[in-house]
Amino acid sequence: MSTDPLDLADRALAFTDGDAQVTVTRERSLLSRFARSTPTQATAVDDTSVSVLVVRDGHVGTVETNDLSDDGLRAAAARARDAARAAADAAGGPGEHPGLPTVAQAGTPSAHAGFDAATADLDPAPGGAALAAAFAATAEHGLEAFGIWTTGRVETAIASSAGLRVADDVTDAYLKVIARDAHGRSGWGAAAGVAAETLDADAVTRQAVARVATSDPVALAPGAYEVVLEPDAVGSLLDMLGGLAFDGLAHAEGRGALTDRLGTPVAATGVTLVDDPLAAGGLPRAFDADGVAKAPLTLLHDGVAQAVAHDRRSAARAGGDAASTGHALAPGGSPWGAAPTNLVLHGGTAPDVGALIAGVERGLYVTRLWYLNVVHERSTTLTGTTRDGTFLIEDGRLTKPVRDVRFTDAALGILERTSALTTATSLVCEADFYGRRAAHGCVVPALRASGFRVTGQTTG
Amino acid sequence: MSDVLALLVEVCEAAAAHGVHAEARWVHTRDEALAVRNGEVSEVRTDVAEGLGIRVRVGGGWGFAATREVSSAGAHAALTRAIAVARAQPVAAAGPFAPLAHGPARGHWAGPCEVDPFALSLEARLAHLHAAEAALRADGDARIVVTSAHTRSRRTRTALASTDGAACTQERTETGAGVQAVAADGEETQVRSYPMSHDGDVLLAGWELVTGLDLAGHAPRVAAEAVELLTAPVCPEGVRDVVLHGEQLALQVHESIGHALELDRILLGEASYAGTSWVQADALRAAGSLRYGSEHLHVTADATLPAALGSFGWDDEGVAARRFPLIEEGVLLAALSARQSAAEIGLEESGGCARADGFARQPIVRMTNVSLEPGSAGSFADLLADTESGLYLETNRSWSIDDRRLQFQFATEVAREIRGGELGRLYRNPSYAGVTPAFWGSMDAVCSASEWRPWSFTNCGKGEPGQVMAVSHGTAPARFRGVQVGVA
Repeated sequence: MSTDPLDLADRALAFTDGDAQVTVTRERSLLSRFARSTPTQATAVDDTSVSVLVVRDGHVGTVETNDLSDDGLRAAAARARDAARAAADAAGGPGEHPGLPTVAQAGTPSAHAGFDAATADLDPAPGGAALAAAFAATAEHGLEAFGIWTTGRVETAIASSAGLRVADDVTDAYLKVIARDAHGRSGWGAAAGVAAETLDADAVTRQAVARVATSDPVALAPGAYEVVLEPDAVGSLLDMLGGLAFDGLAHAEGRGALTDRLGTPVAATGVTLVDDPLAAGGLPRAFDADGVAKAPLTLLHDGVAQAVAHDRRSAARAGGDAASTGHALAPGGSPWGAAPTNLVLHGGTAPDVGALIAGVERGLYVTRLWYLNVVHERSTTLTGTTRDGTFLIEDGRLTKPVRDVRFTDAALGILERTSALTTATSLVCEADFYGRRAAHGCVVPALRASGFRVTGQTTG
Repeated sequence: MSDVLALLVEVCEAAAAHGVHAEARWVHTRDEALAVRNGEVSEVRTDVAEGLGIRVRVGGGWGFAATREVSSAGAHAALTRAIAVARAQPVAAAGPFAPLAHGPARGHWAGPCEVDPFALSLEARLAHLHAAEAALRADGDARIVVTSAHTRSRRTRTALASTDGAACTQERTETGAGVQAVAADGEETQVRSYPMSHDGDVLLAGWELVTGLDLAGHAPRVAAEAVELLTAPVCPEGVRDVVLHGEQLALQVHESIGHALELDRILLGEASYAGTSWVQADALRAAGSLRYGSEHLHVTADATLPAALGSFGWDDEGVAARRFPLIEEGVLLAALSARQSAAEIGLEESGGCARADGFARQPIVRMTNVSLEPGSAGSFADLLADTESGLYLETNRSWSIDDRRLQFQFATEVAREIRGGELGRLYRNPSYAGVTPAFWGSMDAVCSASEWRPWSFTNCGKGEPGQVMAVSHGTAPARFRGVQVGVA
């Protein structure tokens, strides 16, 4: 029996009737974890799941299974059909789902650079070598290494009763190293990419080592500070902003952050944010969960809000000339809306992070942010703390380590107060794989902004 | 499940023949999510997943492999893969591993479930949600832009065998539901939820839990409060006495006690992701040496708590469920551990807290039901009457805490003024912040057992690759003196 995901999708689709879409996802991945310069866990996963979506009179039912036998697929198809029928019966009238995209509506997925054959082999040996390199580089400085090395391959195929047949095959790799001394002072380094061979464990570790404070940190009082955010911190903010500001469903319902603000300035001049799922240097994807072809979507241009992201379901809810922008997060569209997942913040003119720091009289340098959460959706107000390398900037240079601080600030507000961006950008991602592997990240520069609102600090 | 248990025993015997410690798990999960949103059935979804996860220890190195191939060939291939992955790691010294003090896990355990949610028709359950969701929209206020009612059910069946002689099976059914209203007007958006935010109220239970919640009966109040919040005054900043509702207090326990007392974090095993802890291992080796909070703080870990999400027969290392004190009269006594972390600090047995999210994840230290024990402050009305001035905070809206579990900031959906021992006006956008030991040190009253109940959280994230776990925390409303309010 063929192991090709598209063949499997076709086989499952044969068990459906009426309007149906089958999505096959195969994940194979490796992850090695380490702490105190010792391997602690090592995981290999091989799983394939089939999601069957049935649409009846504008109502949907979804069943996912990893039982790939004919009986298993037949049962999933029958259960999805019953689910859609039950939804229609309970509603007593037509639902608002616009139906499955036709081939013409879905468009033709473009080729991308998101696959690396060597990485797809999933050999655990390079992970062992990366760990050994991290242990050695931290030991040189009397430090210990903590982190992960991971690679994965995810194949996706969609076949539908509307004639859609698309397949995608992507790989990703990620390494992070936290270097830590006996006092608990820590520094952060990370790298991500499509190919495992691009992860330079020695360089990542030395970056982490360089960010470990060599003296006791000072306390910083709450207040508004000039801030320089490294790309990892910028990526964390934009990841949250993506769902808050550019969710087309929230926008259509009048509760989104850009309600009545499209076409108006919401960020500083020079801030251009694009969702670019095909960008080389990112983690490209060919199509969304509806099978709609991915394409770049400009969200902010020179600080002016341009667009929100839609799947077919949210576009139908929005009405007018709204159409899917290829941002379905689940087959049939997530009931909770659509969001960009390949954000690219264009670089500016600062040659490097040092140039950003040089322009600050007194401020804060932040390597990464931690435990971000939404305090107020409409204003895009977030809270979180700094972690693994926070320093004071005085007279244009880093002077002292600072105890980690809590900030509470609006993500859009930070972009509005952005005064400079580095020319170079990098791919950042946290590799938070809850459930099925779905690596995503942002391609971002470092930035400098004013008025970063510090609201508390850690103690001890 | 007997066939699959025999398969697991077979693969463990093969591992033992090669001198390899192994644990083999089979997990079958069925998840169902139903939701009605703005008058539409927005979600009718079932996820079924089944597979094997095999963890091995080769020398001092660990390896884990997961496969959906539930067969002898699949199991042996996974064992081979797990060993290869373990051997690819840099060589590690073999650390200690706590013995199974009460012998290997044997037998079958099942959680409570009176009315099987999967046996009820989809139509009947959707009709229940439709009625609740319609009640949110009953008064036709155009400022209510989203109304939703949802339910989720999960059945998990597991089998575990190990080279230590474990051979057990378990079955758990989780059921829960909730409603939510979102109001928007001008620049303001506000949310109100019942009976709690996030996934609603979820327990080891059947559909009887959902019917007992009376979602439709509470819906009009929920919607009215969402609208009222649009124009309520912003919660004033300042240092105030605060009474926390049970749900918010449960999350406070989860974030600033439960996570801080996970022994793998204390031993730096989670430093790369979830973080460490302000509690040091020495405080556990010398139990009784660390003051965590006031004398009113009594905290227990209990994997035997009926109907709670962190309950089971055996953990995923085959350790029997236990109940033990973590903090008594504000003094730290113990932590949450698994076999390896327990042995690292010289404990004679694991705390029985090793749990894994599905077949494709390996067990790590997770909270069982960590609860704040009831106090002696009487009823909620008694506690209010004893509070001259302050704020009552209800229903979590957001949460964030630093990587050592010290400095935190929480926001709730609503605050109400306490004045002269009674509840007063409503405030919007409340939040509060603090530092763990100082905050718990400021707790001077906890309501009595009549107000105590378990609250559940289904979205606790930890580990790499990421794992999501469900757990319950028993609480009764409690009072804290001199809390920083309104920082956000």
